[in-house]
Amino acid sequence: MVSKRFVVKRLLLLVPVLFGVASLVFAILHLAPGDPAKVIVGQRASTAQVQQVRTELGLNDPIWIQYVRFLGDAVVFDFGNSYQIARGTPVREVLVERLPVTIELALYGQVLGILFGIPLGILSAVKQDSITDHLTRVGALAGISVPIFWSGPLLILLFATSLGWLPTSGRIGTAFFLPDTWTLLGTELPLTGMVTVDTLLLGNWEAFVSAVQHLFLPAVVIGIYSMALLSRMMRSSMLEVVRQDYMRTARAKGQGAKITVLKHGLRNALIPVITVIGIQFGTLLGGAVLTETIFGIGGIGTMLVAAIGATDYPLVQGTVLTFALLFTLVNLGVDITYSYLDPRIQQ
Amino acid sequence: MSDPLGSTAALRRYLRDGLGLLARSALVGAALGAVLLLGLLATGESERAASTTAFALGALVFGFGTLSWSGSVLLGGSVESAQRFLDTNTDWTEADSRRAMARVAGAGLGAMLAVAVLGSVVAGL
Repeated sequence: MVSKRFVVKRLLLLVPVLFGVASLVFAILHLAPGDPAKVIVGQRASTAQVQQVRTELGLNDPIWIQYVRFLGDAVVFDFGNSYQIARGTPVREVLVERLPVTIELALYGQVLGILFGIPLGILSAVKQDSITDHLTRVGALAGISVPIFWSGPLLILLFATSLGWLPTSGRIGTAFFLPDTWTLLGTELPLTGMVTVDTLLLGNWEAFVSAVQHLFLPAVVIGIYSMALLSRMMRSSMLEVVRQDYMRTARAKGQGAKITVLKHGLRNALIPVITVIGIQFGTLLGGAVLTETIFGIGGIGTMLVAAIGATDYPLVQGTVLTFALLFTLVNLGVDITYSYLDPRIQQ
Repeated sequence: MSDPLGSTAALRRYLRDGLGLLARSALVGAALGAVLLLGLLATGESERAASTTAFALGALVFGFGTLSWSGSVLLGGSVESAQRFLDTNTDWTEADSRRAMARVAGAGLGAMLAVAVLGSVVAGL
């Protein structure tokens, strides 16, 4: 049982974490060279025009006023309108539209990593020093070492260009058009923005298959690193657990090898692995930036990179804070999960 | 140290110690912030550019301190346990790290406040 005090303490700690991230992002953006007003009006604009835009955007106010205004707006999750990249669209709307794309990609990558990484790690530990173990270890090492910008184009070349099994880019086939809403019991509800979920909600099976085909390669590319790391972690964690006295006792009492490993070993070996899964989610969000670029997926990652280049303060601040919030919430979930697996952690 | 939520007296002592530590480091930070702002002005920077740079540097230190303080609170116990488990004895403790990061955050906050006040005065002249 997870204690309320433990959860409340973890929730309260989100406040200084987000406050710290907000201050860091604000500081870095204002220390970086470049004037957003000049980016908006163009390099040939007169000084008067630049000054007018600066005044309209509130950039001529003293920096401490801008800081307090930014923090006040961030509390209600209002980051204002994008200066340049999303052409005046409120950042909140941009996030609602683009974030599900990136989250979907990161989630599928994570799911693939967990589905293959954990069983491979267990197999490798149980069959230590066998051919299976050696192959898994070499595979994991390769998975950790191969960068996304190399594995992405290579997989496209093999599966899309040469074999023609999977599409090269995009999120869904051009023949499919998804509406903005779906109907449940006569009520119109907005779609999630995640194509695989939306196509299922709309009951469009062909579109779902197309979405899965489009997502497969990007998810594999982003999931390879996760899978490799998780299998390495799972192997070392499981190797430590299988040598414990309680495992030997369970075997001595006549319990089968498979049941001993899965019932007694897995739960204890999972604790450090679950911690890594939480931390990995942040890496996957970061990795999504490269993957989105390679596979032409219009997520928040590519937009963030463009926004940094254009010194689009509201968009960068809003996106980074949302990433931080997501990351801390995922890690809160991880904390709760492993405190459930091992209640001593709550002490 | 006793649990600050254990009794009212313990909470009062915890808050007094914490606020005292923050105030002392904020004073140091304020002095550093003022020196930085005046130094930037002396090098010929405009009032706006100097106060922006000095304030942003203060915010950077404050953000780093706040984030690291939370990190110490969140992970400090685990790091201590890991050290005990590995028998490494580095003398690193969660409480020390938390206090150090509170000092860093306090210094950043002090610098930000000093730059805001001094910057307003300079702008008014």
